[in-house]
Amino acid sequence: MPETKDGLRVGVIHGPGNAIKPVWFDLNRRKHSIREITNCWRERRGDTALLHFHVVDEGALYELIYNLTSGCWLLEQIESL
Amino acid sequence: MSQRLIMHIDMNAFFAAVEQQSNPALRGQPVAVVGSQQRTIILTASYEARSFGVKTGMTLFEARQKCPQLQLVAANNRLYTHVSAQIIEIFRDYTPLVEVFSIDEAFLDVTGSLQIFGSVQRIAYLIKSRIKARLGLTCSIGVAPNKLLAKLASDMQKPDGLTFIRPEEVGIVLEELPIGELCGIGRSTEHKLNALGIYSCGQLGRYSAATLKGRFGVIGERLKLMGQGVDAAAVIPLEQEAEVKTVGHSMTLRQDIDDRQSIARFLLQLSEMVGRRARRYGVLGKTVTLTLRYADFTTFSRQQVQVEPIGQSEEIYRASLRILDSLILEQPTRLLGVRLSSLQHRDRQLLLLPEERRKQQLCESLDQVNDRHGEFSVMSASLLDVKGKGSHVISPAWRPEGIRNVSFS
Repeated sequence: MPETKDGLRVGVIHGPGNAIKPVWFDLNRRKHSIREITNCWRERRGDTALLHFHVVDEGALYELIYNLTSGCWLLEQIESL
Repeated sequence: MSQRLIMHIDMNAFFAAVEQQSNPALRGQPVAVVGSQQRTIILTASYEARSFGVKTGMTLFEARQKCPQLQLVAANNRLYTHVSAQIIEIFRDYTPLVEVFSIDEAFLDVTGSLQIFGSVQRIAYLIKSRIKARLGLTCSIGVAPNKLLAKLASDMQKPDGLTFIRPEEVGIVLEELPIGELCGIGRSTEHKLNALGIYSCGQLGRYSAATLKGRFGVIGERLKLMGQGVDAAAVIPLEQEAEVKTVGHSMTLRQDIDDRQSIARFLLQLSEMVGRRARRYGVLGKTVTLTLRYADFTTFSRQQVQVEPIGQSEEIYRASLRILDSLILEQPTRLLGVRLSSLQHRDRQLLLLPEERRKQQLCESLDQVNDRHGEFSVMSASLLDVKGKGSHVISPAWRPEGIRNVSFS
């Protein structure tokens, strides 16, 4: 369960293989269950590989970014639903 | 100049998908959206129906043969235009350069948006995710250096695809591609090119420009460039679109008709639709044109110049009736159209005659009610028993705000 410096925690299912699937995230002591992953894609920035997930909870669409090099997660809210 | 980044976004099975979202019982089912009930063809089919071989343009009979459990839904144009307008608003969050190509397709120039959003890939996924999360719909996106290739790319992966054609890949992608796959090369042009021995884009791109020009005139050179994947056309947002010079509507009738009274009732409907649009554009027109198509598809138009420019539905109706009464119809009619042209600005002048003032006030009040509650919420009593009012076709001129630039002569 990697943790960011902002206190974001993300619950992840690893596998099968190298697959990573976030299932919940905890932000500011509030747990958000991920209802749907609408899209995910891989991006390379220099030496860093990033995995982007667009996820939906009950109220909003978020972008979760997993840094494969550092093992850190970042989160950005895209919009309320 | 840096390489342009153009997106073409194509909503997947748009009408059918909107119906499936608005009625959960239809989700996962083979669904086809159809037009009017008696003369109907498949307008679009859900991907579940397509897997049975149901295609756009099939008759109901053909479609039911392919898929007996097919669920039919009557087209709901108001719903589709409403959803489309929401989608276009999402596009505009990523660039002001949005060209609405049709109700379910648009081009976006995102060249200048990368600094804000990071990458074109991220913009594409943001758009896809927001549409999916908010509306439950999927789209296919093509990204390329120009509109021609972006449209081609969006067709390559359906549904829910994201396809890039990068500048260095253009030659490889086009070499074996059949020319008919390019947007802008229709069946007729394809046959003519085939007659010259041209079947693939690669062959078209290498063909002699002089020969193509000799065979096709000015578009010959353009065809060669298309074969090379070259397209300099800009993404043109709504406010820069070519001006509208006429306001018109037409409708294919549920069944062929030949009596004047029935034709007159449809003309009243069409005149109301034309009048409503003319008033929204703030224009009057001096020329009224009536178009008729006979049962054997013979089509002709007759026009009449008015003494004064007109814009009220009743005036347009009277003018179209005068044209109708000057004709001797040789066959039953299957299509009617009414058009207003020679447009000019409508001055909001104070009408002196109380009768004229009352008419104008009544007209404005009716427009307000119909704006709020939908077309034909309030109408002439003679239209009350007409079923399925409206043309049932989303005009190619449809735009999210409903208004295009208007040219005045």
